[in-house]
This record gives sequence, C-alpha cells and structure tokens, in this order.
Amino acid sequence: MSPNIRFPRCWSFPPTTKSHLLISLCIALVVLLLSRQVQPVQAVAPVDGYLLTGSLLDSQTQPIAAATIEVVTAVDSTPLAVTESQDSGEWSLVIPEVPSQNFQVTISRHHFAAQTLVIDNDARAQLANSGIYRVGSLTLHRQIDASFWVATAVFLGVLLLIAFEKLHSTTAALTGLSAVMLATFLGEAVWEPLYIFSFERALHYINWEVIFLVMAMMIIIAIIEETGIFQWMAFQAYRLSRGHSWLLVLVLMGVTAVASALLDNFTTMLLMTPISLQIGLALGINPLAFIIPEVLASNIGGISTLIGTPTNILIGAYADIGFTDFLANQTAGVIVALVAAGGYVIFHYRAEWRKASGGISPRLYARLQQNASIEDSAALLKAGIVFLLVLVGFVVGEQYHIVPAVPALIGATALLIWLKPDINAMIKAVDWTTLVFFMALFIVVGAVQEVGLISMIADGISRLVGSNLVLAIFVMVFGVGTLSTAIANIPLAASMLPVAEFLTGSVPGGSSKVLYYALSMGAAMGGNGFLVGAEANLVTAGITEQAGSPISFKEFLKIGLPVTYLTLLVGFVWLLIRFVW
Amino acid sequence: MTTILCATRGGASSFPNQDRAIALAQERHAQLIFLHVANVTFLNQFASPKIVDMEAELEEMGEFMLIMAEERAEKAGITAQGVARQGGFQQALQEVIGEYGVTAVTLGAPVHGTALTTTAYLQTLTQTLLQEHAVEVFLLHDGDIIEHHLPTPK
Repeated sequence: MSPNIRFPRCWSFPPTTKSHLLISLCIALVVLLLSRQVQPVQAVAPVDGYLLTGSLLDSQTQPIAAATIEVVTAVDSTPLAVTESQDSGEWSLVIPEVPSQNFQVTISRHHFAAQTLVIDNDARAQLANSGIYRVGSLTLHRQIDASFWVATAVFLGVLLLIAFEKLHSTTAALTGLSAVMLATFLGEAVWEPLYIFSFERALHYINWEVIFLVMAMMIIIAIIEETGIFQWMAFQAYRLSRGHSWLLVLVLMGVTAVASALLDNFTTMLLMTPISLQIGLALGINPLAFIIPEVLASNIGGISTLIGTPTNILIGAYADIGFTDFLANQTAGVIVALVAAGGYVIFHYRAEWRKASGGISPRLYARLQQNASIEDSAALLKAGIVFLLVLVGFVVGEQYHIVPAVPALIGATALLIWLKPDINAMIKAVDWTTLVFFMALFIVVGAVQEVGLISMIADGISRLVGSNLVLAIFVMVFGVGTLSTAIANIPLAASMLPVAEFLTGSVPGGSSKVLYYALSMGAAMGGNGFLVGAEANLVTAGITEQAGSPISFKEFLKIGLPVTYLTLLVGFVWLLIRFVW
Repeated sequence: MTTILCATRGGASSFPNQDRAIALAQERHAQLIFLHVANVTFLNQFASPKIVDMEAELEEMGEFMLIMAEERAEKAGITAQGVARQGGFQQALQEVIGEYGVTAVTLGAPVHGTALTTTAYLQTLTQTLLQEHAVEVFLLHDGDIIEHHLPTPK
C-alpha cells in the first residue's frame, strides 16, 4: 500500500529513523564512489619469484572470470601455485622457483572444458631469465552439462510465472533464485554437473548501480508526485483544448510522454489515469479514448531518457550509456514515433471525438480543478530545483565517469534534508519489493549467462546477421519488440544485454552502441502490443476497472498492435538515419 | 423515509443501473445513497515501484464520479448523497448500510466481464444482506432488475 507523504512543519518521527536512512544513503554514496575508483587488478611484477600471466576468453572473445589456474609439475601433484582469473579474464601467478623440468598450467572452470598448457624448455628459459612469462590468450570452449538445462528451465519458468501471473513477479524471481542456489548446493554435495555458480559469484551479477539509482529515484519521485504537478498539467491540457477532444488527447499524450521520460511508465500511469478518467467522463467521452493513448505514449516517451524506463536504467548501467547519450540518440526518433502514434489514435477513435458533450457542470468543474490542484507549491519549487540539479548532475557526471546513481542519491538526500518529509512514509515509499525483484532477477539471468545459454543465443543471432549492421538493428528492434509484446520487458532486456554486447563487438559498426538503443526501443515499444505487454498497461486496466471502464484484451490489441509495429518501424528507420546512413 | 443504497463504480457502464436506482427512489419517495468503494489491493501483483499514494488518488476519483451520480439524481428530483470508502467492498457496504439506516440495496450483476464481482460472490453477498441486515436487494443488469429479494424475516 502506498504511503501518504506529507510535509510537516515540525518533526513528527523518531530522529533515529531519519538518521538511519540518511546514514544508509551516505554509505550507499561512498560505496558507489569507491566502487568506481577500484580498477580491475592487472598483472603486476612479482616481488619474489617468477611471474606467469595470461588471459582467458570464450569462443565469443568475451573474458572469462573466476577460472582456476594451477601450476603443476610432473613429479608432484600438489600445485606450485593457484590463482583465479579476474573479470577482465586476466590472470597472474607467482612461483617461487622455475621447475627443472617442463611443467604444466592447467585451467579449469565450471561450464567450460578444462585445458592444459605445457611450459616447455624455451618458455622456462624465458621465465628464468626475465622473471616473467606471458602465456597469452587462451580460448576455453563451452561444455553443456546438467546445470545448463536446470538454469534454462528455471529462467523460462520464471518468465512463464510472471507472464501468466501465477506468482507475484518478485516471488517468481526469488523462486528462480532459490532453485539456482539449490542446484548449486546439490552440485557441490551430490552431483557436480548440477553446479551453476557460487553464492559469491551470483552476487557478482547484481548491478548495484541499477539498484541504487532506482532506489534514489523512488525517493525523489515520491516527493515530486505528492505535489500534484502531473495532475495539474493534465487539467491544464483539458482547459487549453477548449472542448476539442482530439486536441486534448494529443496534448495528454504529450504530457504523458514528458512525464514518462522523467518518471517511470508505471508511476506515470498511476498519476495520469485517475485524472484522465475524470476528464473523459466529464466530457461524455469513453475515457479509454484518452487513457489507452496515454499508455501508448507512456511506453514510447520513456525511451528518450536514462531514467524513463527500468530497461533504460539497465541498459545505461550495463553499457555505460549516459543521460545525454539517450537524449541525443533517442529523442528525435521518440518524437516522430509519438507523432505517428498520435495520428493513428486520432484515426482510431474518430467516432469518439464527435461525442463530446461540450461542457460540464460548475460543480464537476470545481471538483476536477480541486483534484488537479498543486498540493504544495513550496515543496514543488524545492523538489523541482533539486530534480533539475539531479538532471544536471547526470550530464556533468558523465564527464567525470560518475555513475547516475550518485547524483540521484545526492538529490534524494538533499530533498530529505530540505523538505523534511515524514521519514517513515519516505522509507515506505521505497518499494523494496521492486528492488528485491531486480536483485533476484539479475541472479537468475546471471545463471543462464554462466551456463552459456546467452552465449548460445548470441551465437545464433550472430550467425543470422553475419556482419550486416542493418540486419542486426532490425533483429534487435523487431525481434525484441515482438517478444516484448508478451514477455515482461525487464527480464527480457536483462537477458538480451549480453547478446547486444556480443553483437556490438562482433558486427562492424556496432561499436556506436546502436544495438543497445535498438534493444531499448524494441523492449519499450513492444510493450504496447498486448495488454499484458507492460506493467503500465496492466495497472492502468486495474484502475479503469475500479471505475467501471475496464480495458478488454481485444480493445487494447486493436490499437496497441498497429501502434507497436508503426512505432517500431519509425524507431528502426531513425536508428538507421542516426547511426548507419 | 426509506433509504436506497446504490453501489456503483461510476463509469459509463454504471449509468443504466444508476438510472434504475433513481427510478426506484422516485417510486418509493426514498432518499438515495451512492456508494463507491476503492480497493488498491490489485496493485500488489505488480513488481514496479508503487510510489504514488493510490488510495488518495482513487478516493478523489471515486468522489468525482459520485458527484456525477448525484447530479443525475438531482436532475430527476431525487436527493442523493455520495459515500466514498476504501477497502473491501462487502465490509464497506455493510458498514454504510448500518450507518445510514439503508432499507434497500441495488447491486450491479456481472455484465460482459465488466464487473469486479462474480455471480457466485453476488449470491453469497445477497444472502448475507438479506439475513444479517434485513434489507431488500435488487440485482441489476444494464438497468433492468434481474433479481429482487425481500428480506428474510428474523
């Protein structure tokens, strides 16, 4: 249940609670800053002994981390030295002395075939003379075992549980996480082929930048939404349209798209649906003629910024794409897509626009005005200033390699200090269920990455597109877009990120990161296809159901599917103009 | 004076049933209460962050739609009052029946899957209202009375 956040003149909460949240935010900030300073450990010259170094790659030339590298001699089975490869795939180990005979470097890792490298006389001589020998890059080949099928089944099971609403999304993701960990436990204790990854390795897949950015934005949005600014904008749209309902829907779509670029789609629709429903009913028009276009605009509008959709937050953190990158590379395409969607909406609901009754009673108008009034203009001003500074922080931070979570956390903290909201309500405003969902999902997707499913998909797409960038963009926009009509776009985007990374490295021209933008467009625009395509669609249907104006699957499909493919086409052409032609 | 309670969700599909309740109030010279119950539990199924205070948003929406219903009644010369509540429908309905001394209740029957309630739910609710509150119950479908139950004598 959502909290009601108020801005009291005096403190009405335990100071310890406030301190805890502020301390937590500060710690989060420091952790994030420090995490950016720590560089991957590279091979370093030994103080005592002889240094062996090398690097490990998979068949897609991606680095392999957490592989065990051992030096063994023919005379003694006890390893002379043992190490693990780093995230960069690099490894280095020090042996106290150069063995008198040839010796071996063995490399082993779960889900890959083990390799043995013989260090011959020449290599030994080089090691003895210079104190260092670089083995070079080795390619390890994937090995499909029982863990592959377990992880794949768990991943698909989670997707199905979410799609068919058999379990709450967070419960589904946690179930998947538990199944993956259980398989690993059984792998360690009973049958090794079941082993997927260690708990430490699983935690490695959680993207903390995403978690902290989402958490900080929740606090900021919770304060901004309470001011009533978005409802006020909707009411102004109603006033300015002067009874022209076709104009009103276009303005409402615009307002929704802008709101969605700054908030997430789900929150945008929670804010826009009730007020739009009231406007529609007051005008004597089917309110769905306003609300469904708003949902479509919300799913499209969010694409233009880093914080507009959870999928963009994922993509930004994964591929190091910043706020201005999204703005510069997506916005024009998004505007054209919105214009195309708006045109289709006007055509689709053409009969509705003639039904407008022309005016509403003074009592209803007054009520509408009251429901759409600015609740706290002082809070709005302060929150607006801080939000603007956070956006500036995103832009400036890119120059100094500061991740977006940092300005967002600073902004959230500043609002807590400046506005002094009820801290208990603020803690409740952070939707921990969502954060847990993200963490569990990262681990489930990490499991299929670990066992090689994602590599297999990437290989398949790579074979399909070859070195054709246009075809790769097409597959990413329309393929992901089509999948996203039915599959929840967050897990879809999370699982497609390594695929986009591989194609970015393998397809000529991909280094512009165009395939990540294609993924962003496909995942978000595809959500417009079916009612079940995005949570924003479903929650809107839930609200309209409460008001006796339910959205049927068929009704949504009739407008959603054509708009999906129309906007995907616009997005595809835009990406070609921006990156290829 | 008798009091009729019309449970409504307020959208266009509710207008025929609201008109029927208004007509019943005219026939009986009764006062009319429109009840809107908002329930945010449907939000629990979503993983997305639920930052917005939806209880307040839905309450405002409900009150707006109740004003629309009151205006429809006033046009027909009936005094009507809107009551907006949060939470479970059945509990809210029973509370309002007790608070306002309601003697008759109109409920919308499921139409084309547009109702929040199922037929089985309505039957159970009807029996509860008849036995525990001794009120008359009308089940309405698109403005027509499809079932009319008189209170069970205690």
